[in-house]
Amino acid sequence: MEFQLLAAGLAIGLGTIGPGIGIGIGFSKAMEAIGRNPDASGTIFVPYILGLALTEAMAIYALVIGLILIFAVS
Amino acid sequence: MVGALLASALLLLATVYLSRRATLVPGRFQALVEFPIEWLAGIVKGTGGKRWKEFVGLVIAIFMFVLVANFIGLLPGVGVVGINHAGEGGSTVIVPLVRPAAADLNFTLGLAIIAFVAFIGWGIRANGVGGYLKELLIAEPAYMTPLLTPIHLISELSRLISLSMRLFGNVFAGEVLLAVMLALVPIFIPVVFLGLEVIFGFVQALVFALLTMTYITLAIAEHRQHESGDEHTGHQPEEREASPTPGTA
Repeated sequence: MEFQLLAAGLAIGLGTIGPGIGIGIGFSKAMEAIGRNPDASGTIFVPYILGLALTEAMAIYALVIGLILIFAVS
Repeated sequence: MVGALLASALLLLATVYLSRRATLVPGRFQALVEFPIEWLAGIVKGTGGKRWKEFVGLVIAIFMFVLVANFIGLLPGVGVVGINHAGEGGSTVIVPLVRPAAADLNFTLGLAIIAFVAFIGWGIRANGVGGYLKELLIAEPAYMTPLLTPIHLISELSRLISLSMRLFGNVFAGEVLLAVMLALVPIFIPVVFLGLEVIFGFVQALVFALLTMTYITLAIAEHRQHESGDEHTGHQPEEREASPTPGTA
């Protein structure tokens, strides 16, 4: 049981590294684009939010694995 | 569940109240309600393709429902005031009267199933049952089918999981974060995180609605690429005009 908790912590901890980097890159590029062309901020917003959501999905999978490790595996 | 019921009751009341006394020139309150709806409808119009009018209602309904449910979850007393209940091992557990609706997986899974059925339904309506199954089961170069079809099926199913788990994870993590912050530093600091949660509640509602819209648009548009390639170049000039050329200062 102790190792399950450790594994769940490791899963979500390691699993958020990649999405963290990805969201950071996406955000910086969006800011760059708005800085270059402030009028396009409305156009950039929606694709940015969608990309953010899809990147975040990877972290969500890690969360699912963590929850499965804690609650479902006995 | 009570939170979700409260949210839908609030929306229903607002709908009845506003549609009774709606005027052509909106008053202050009516403008406040109309603003987010018109804004979202504009987004759906811009990215939803030609048939955006068919699903704009669903997208706005999901957005408003999740938004109101998230904001109800942030009110003081929600998730805290409850009934004492005998828990495991003789301890007493407080069962809250009202919890943040999206902190329960049943709520988000239900919404995700609605979205799932919606985009499969629109896919079938646009392509026909045979066309949809062909799109789903047979890959573009036919010899790649055994490799790509399982991936395709899993990616369809993972939309359901990621849609529901994203909303659940964010709201649940927000609730836990607020509780932990309140326990660590009881003064002032939690206010910052409460503000953050307001932003997250809005963004997650928007993400859920936008992803539903994107999936429906994809399900409809998959058909178009096979029929004729020139159809989706129709509204490109508009987008070009809206964004002026990047300034080179």
